[in-house]
Amino acid sequence: MSLALEICRMAEERLGAEALPEVVEVGVIVGDEAGIVAENLEFCLVALLSAPPFAGARPVVERCPGQVLRLAYLEVDDGRPEPAAAGGTR
Amino acid sequence: MSVRTIHVQGNVMARNDEYADRIRRRLRDAGVIAFNLISSPGSGKTTLLERTLDRLDAEFPIAVVTGDVQTENDARRLERHTGRLVQAVVTDGGCHLDARQIHDAVGALDLRETRLLFVENVGNLVCPATWDLGEAAKIVVLSVTEGEDKPLKYPTAFRRARYAVFNKIDLLPHLDYDLDMAVRYARQINPEIETFFVSAQTGEGMDAWYRFLRSRVSGREAA
Repeated sequence: MSLALEICRMAEERLGAEALPEVVEVGVIVGDEAGIVAENLEFCLVALLSAPPFAGARPVVERCPGQVLRLAYLEVDDGRPEPAAAGGTR
Repeated sequence: MSVRTIHVQGNVMARNDEYADRIRRRLRDAGVIAFNLISSPGSGKTTLLERTLDRLDAEFPIAVVTGDVQTENDARRLERHTGRLVQAVVTDGGCHLDARQIHDAVGALDLRETRLLFVENVGNLVCPATWDLGEAAKIVVLSVTEGEDKPLKYPTAFRRARYAVFNKIDLLPHLDYDLDMAVRYARQINPEIETFFVSAQTGEGMDAWYRFLRSRVSGREAA
């Protein structure tokens, strides 16, 4: 749970608290040797992302080799056009 | 609908690791060596520390930070074996200690009066294995009343530990426990792991443990 909380904290640090309800997807990469059960992390993220300040964002946990544990991306639906430097609009 | 993808690629452990690096530098500058004890609940970490304090605290000053989910019972037990402050960290349900908590606890210690620091982590072989607390090494403590295959079930703990202490060996005659097999499993996960075989209760095997600690402390002071 503490890792899931840290991921939420990183999202807030990146986007600001006011933008958290606009998050629709949180992408996380978990290494096979990170010592973390990906399903457990996903379960905790589902619980946290479905409650305020989030509004039902979906966690997507991908596995990879190694010891990495990374918050890979945040998908935000804010109805605004994409700023050039921040990533692609889907 | 306009959905933006914001690429972060942020290491989730980064903040913890920054604190751990800060702790490591601080301990190194103070000439303090730190060990992080991790184990299942009931392996005998606190008894191991009680005996260690009884024997070695007069030779060189030892500080202890204990982590517990809900009580300060372990800290209270250890306080009876040392005149020094035992720092208790109650995690309020958290399953492990993190480096920020240790950073704060170490800040309350007089490092000038400390040569050896033990962190007694929360009893749990999963989460504590993942978190760097700024220690010199993790020591996994396991009791011979647990299954021999603990190393296979909890490989991260054994992979990241440099030492393994097999405790409660006085109970071996009463148990169907294959100690050699347990050691083989531990070395299968981590061929470099160094082992101790002790009974903190009876004192059996503890001399090797004390010699190890003395050598690490003296090595550290010489460095």
